Amino acid sequence: MGRIIVAAFAVTLIVILAMNAPTTTPPTPGIGHEAQPSLVENKATLRTLQARYKALSNQLAQLMPNQPYILVDTARNRLYVKRQDEVVLDAIASTGSGTILDKPGEGNNQWVFDTPRGEFLVKSKLTNPTWIKPDWAFVEEGLAVPQNAADRAEQGVLGDYALGFGKGYFIHGTLYTRLLGKNVTHGCIRLNDNDLKGVYKLARVGTPIMIF
Amino acid sequence: MNLCALLLALIFAAPGWGKEPEAFPDLNLNNPHELKEATRVLEEELKLAARPQTYLLIDLGTSTIHIKGRGLGLHQIPIVTWSAGPREALKGIHRLVARPSVVRRKIEPGAAVEQEPISIADMPTDYMLSFTPSLSVTVVPSVGNDGLLRSAVLLGKVGWHHAKDWVTQFFIDQPAESSSYLRLTLTADHAQSLAWSLVDGMAIVIRRSPDK
Repeated sequence: MGRIIVAAFAVTLIVILAMNAPTTTPPTPGIGHEAQPSLVENKATLRTLQARYKALSNQLAQLMPNQPYILVDTARNRLYVKRQDEVVLDAIASTGSGTILDKPGEGNNQWVFDTPRGEFLVKSKLTNPTWIKPDWAFVEEGLAVPQNAADRAEQGVLGDYALGFGKGYFIHGTLYTRLLGKNVTHGCIRLNDNDLKGVYKLARVGTPIMIF
Repeated sequence: MNLCALLLALIFAAPGWGKEPEAFPDLNLNNPHELKEATRVLEEELKLAARPQTYLLIDLGTSTIHIKGRGLGLHQIPIVTWSAGPREALKGIHRLVARPSVVRRKIEPGAAVEQEPISIADMPTDYMLSFTPSLSVTVVPSVGNDGLLRSAVLLGKVGWHHAKDWVTQFFIDQPAESSSYLRLTLTADHAQSLAWSLVDGMAIVIRRSPDK
């Protein structure tokens, strides 16, 4: 009986509180509560605030890249080269699949095939790159990881160019152009030959890469 | 005279010259309360934009979520409706500590069948994000055909949230940890897009709505 009363009380309380909950429209008034009344009328203060706002806006603008930068949208598999607001190149890409693979003999350790998010820089520009196959490439195929480094080298799978952005991640070409636009890679960013050539020409070592 | 005319022509001909960067184009520069809020947000954002990372700016004034890096707007997500409280708790930089888990598909070594990659469609539409310092952001999809059911669920969630806060404050006599909250209603696609773009430790800054 006691439980029923407690439950009934809880339900009633929730309903009452829910009915008094804020609406899903912007609440008003807002900032006016915090401000000092004298601020509103004070023109000198207004000018100071305007100057401060403009100075801060300028400071923020100074942090933006003043050179072309690469923008990668991993959800929609698009790569853009932008110069400020102007889109210089718009390409369909393939980014990380988000799948996982167990590391053999390492308990619960796994490889996670995500394209990393955040800000990176082009660290290297390669022509006719050779793919040095990492351990996961062999494990995924059910093969033994070779002891000899030469057995890892594979030519002609990364396209004509590659742009490295750290920790083994590259923007490179692909043999599987039909998969462009899908999340299928092990974390690298794939492009078709023409777009890859365009990005290679526009980017320099040090070009920022923004990935989200 | 000719030199002056030439200089003026050059100034007006050059794109962007003489145009000052404006962090918030919607801002009423004659409203000290809006300016005060904008400068506060810019001060916070400058700290984030100075480092190589992506971050979120939730602009409640324009009902837009901005994914940003180095002050650049990388992507925008419109907010359908929102509610928040208390206002003071929305100040400062908050970092993401908990987000919905993603079900990742495991690759079976040597298997002939390729695993389906994760796509944006695998992302949730209805979820809660926890930040430190204490802030919870609830994302719910805007009502569709199953609107009545969703509304009931939302009402229940809101009621439960308030009941928890009330019980915490009343019986334990301490400020409820979850009292700083933001509820965002997004379209289902945009809710998934936001879930996709989040990374652990990601920072957010909130621009509170202007006093109307």
